[in-house]
Amino acid sequence: MWEKLKVSARLPFQSLWAKLIFSFLLVVLAGGLASSIIGVRMVGNTIIAEAQKKVRHDLLSAWMIYQERLSRIQDVLHLTAKRDLIIPSLFGRDTEVLRRELEKVRIEYGLDVLTIVDRKGFVLARSRPPYRAGDYQGNDELVRRALKKEMVASTEIIPQQELAKEGEELVRQAYMEFVPTPKAKDRPETKQTSGMMLKAAVPILDVNDNVLGVLYGGTLLNRNYEIVDKIKDIVFKGERYKGKDTGTATIFQWDVRISTNVKNRSGLRAIETRVARDVYDQVLENGRAWIDRAFVVDDWYIAAYEPIRNIKGEIIGILYAGTLEEPYTDLRSNVIYSFFGIAFLGLVLVLFLAYFITRSITRPIGELAKATEVIAGGDFSHEVAIQSRDEVGHLAVSFNRMTMTLKATMEELYMVNTKLQDLNRHYLEMVGFITHELNQPMGVLKGFLILLQDESLGPLASPKQKQAVSTMLRNVDALINMIQKYLQLGRIESGRMEINKTRVSVFREALAPVLEDEKKQLDMRKMEVVLENEEVFRKAEAVADPVLLRIVFSNLIGNALKYGRQGGRIWCGMRDESGECLFYIKNEGRGIPAGKLAMVFEKFARLEGELERHRRGTGLGLFNAKVIVEKHGGRIWAESEEGAWANFLFTLPKEEKRS
Amino acid sequence: MAGLAKVLVIDDEPDLVEMLRMALERHFEVIVAFNGKEGVAKAKAEKPDAIVLDIMMPEQDGFAACRELKDNPQTALTPILILTGVADYFGRTKYTKLSGMEIEAEDFISKPVDPNELVGRVTALLEKDKPSKT
Repeated sequence: MWEKLKVSARLPFQSLWAKLIFSFLLVVLAGGLASSIIGVRMVGNTIIAEAQKKVRHDLLSAWMIYQERLSRIQDVLHLTAKRDLIIPSLFGRDTEVLRRELEKVRIEYGLDVLTIVDRKGFVLARSRPPYRAGDYQGNDELVRRALKKEMVASTEIIPQQELAKEGEELVRQAYMEFVPTPKAKDRPETKQTSGMMLKAAVPILDVNDNVLGVLYGGTLLNRNYEIVDKIKDIVFKGERYKGKDTGTATIFQWDVRISTNVKNRSGLRAIETRVARDVYDQVLENGRAWIDRAFVVDDWYIAAYEPIRNIKGEIIGILYAGTLEEPYTDLRSNVIYSFFGIAFLGLVLVLFLAYFITRSITRPIGELAKATEVIAGGDFSHEVAIQSRDEVGHLAVSFNRMTMTLKATMEELYMVNTKLQDLNRHYLEMVGFITHELNQPMGVLKGFLILLQDESLGPLASPKQKQAVSTMLRNVDALINMIQKYLQLGRIESGRMEINKTRVSVFREALAPVLEDEKKQLDMRKMEVVLENEEVFRKAEAVADPVLLRIVFSNLIGNALKYGRQGGRIWCGMRDESGECLFYIKNEGRGIPAGKLAMVFEKFARLEGELERHRRGTGLGLFNAKVIVEKHGGRIWAESEEGAWANFLFTLPKEEKRS
Repeated sequence: MAGLAKVLVIDDEPDLVEMLRMALERHFEVIVAFNGKEGVAKAKAEKPDAIVLDIMMPEQDGFAACRELKDNPQTALTPILILTGVADYFGRTKYTKLSGMEIEAEDFISKPVDPNELVGRVTALLEKDKPSKT
């Protein structure tokens, strides 16, 4: 029954414990993985967002430093323009004095250019060798505006020839030969000769506010690292990470780095390199700020770029502030590692806990299973000792109660069974006793009745007397027959049946005596016994107890006599089959219904319609025959065609089976 | 009564003895005994021509009685017909030896006894005996 219960296990584990652990693990892994991914993403995004915010802020600070530098130039010019020496010298066109004075101011305030222009726009004096003068600067936008009394300052592109006018060194300072840069936008040019300058121009006014001239000056940004380094120092406080500056700033002239503290691989300032294509498109072409990670020279930065415009509002370059991405990515990696570390530790902890929890759950179940096995084996004294108050505890209590009930029931059953066996034994003993006791008087009765019938004791007076004696004799015979069957049963059921097997001639020792005994009965019912295959039958031998074998034949012939058709035939025969002999007793008559063929061998079996008094049997003959045949290792069965014949067949082994 | 063969019937059941006597006395001279001892004593004293001996008897059973009779030269040649009960299974006749019991009887007849058959058997025993006597 148990083998039929197939557990549809999808998990490849046999024990409840492993299944639970596996389920726990699955849940924790799924949950942990999901939360880790979400957490890592969130943390990563937050870190990057924070970095970008900081960089945006840093660019703003950079702009302030840049603008402050520009205003300082303007302030210097403004103050110089008001110097007492300048205006008279201007009036007097004393260029020598102007040149000397301006050069002092230029050097003192660290300007690259400081030039004075008359009110018509012609250069009066320059403060730098070779001190060229006389050229027209009135078409310079700043100078033009200053002549109109404006004070202006801005970043401007200065072409090479103009730089040359201000000083040959400036041409060399401004000259840039592009260094091939990965990710940069392709340009046909390979060099750049112009320069980018922080430039201011202020009008020089007399007491009546008339314009006497213009003072302009500035600082060339190319290869001038003052601003970018100041930005680095002030904004990024000079922080370093793994030997690299974390904070960097750059000034681009168009897309070329002209002033920077971003280092190339050789550790030199990466001037003459160019900006990445994405930034080029966004900032230079579209004039929008760029805040994102960017590949700067040869490292990733979180960067902010904004366009630098000249006085006319045209984009001429870019101001950049950026911070190395590596610290942030490292931070993010650390966070991720920590996350997974924590998740792993959690997993281990959960496994550990799961182990104990599942153990505490499954152990009682395991004990219960073991107890079930013990009890299934028939030991009802076993008690499950589980103290928990949960369902398993309830189960254990119920189980114990069930065991007790079972035990009580089994004991009761045992007692009842013992009682029944006693009763049965008593019954059999009684049957044995009664039949045995009946046997003797029946023998006496039968003998006297025969003597009466034969008129050995004197003639019977009337036919009625003869009739009475004959009927009595028939009934006594039936009784004796019945008694014999009960005596057989008593022997069989009490287990006292001894089987003394020997090699016997079946015909001579079993069938022939029976036929001889039943001769009178056969004659009375005008039935004929036909021996089939007689030659072989007479020689047939089997290993059997001859006395018991005779009972079998007697019962089967008796059965055929009783149920066979009056005046019909009885066929007795045998067939030699491999390893065994098959015997059969077949009679003509009503036969047996197909459904009752097996039933006829049951104890006290009676067929319906078996109503005729003189035919009523004990229901023991075939049963006794069956028990005996089976004890000999043979089989017995019945075949029949209803209304025509019934055939009883049995087998006996030819050789003793040695077991 | 001379000329009639003498048959000794030994059985503990008086009614059965009565029946057997009635069956046999039309052909033989019948003497009876009701247990083994008495039977052996009568056999020695009366010298019957044949003995009908029951197996199941008190005092001395048929086996013991038979052995004693066969051991005694006076009675050793007297043919014995054993009566066997259904209690010793069914129908033990001359075709079978009694299981486990060596018994030197000339014939067996099973209970319940058909008186005509008994007469036939006894007659047969006496006839088989005659040539050796004469």
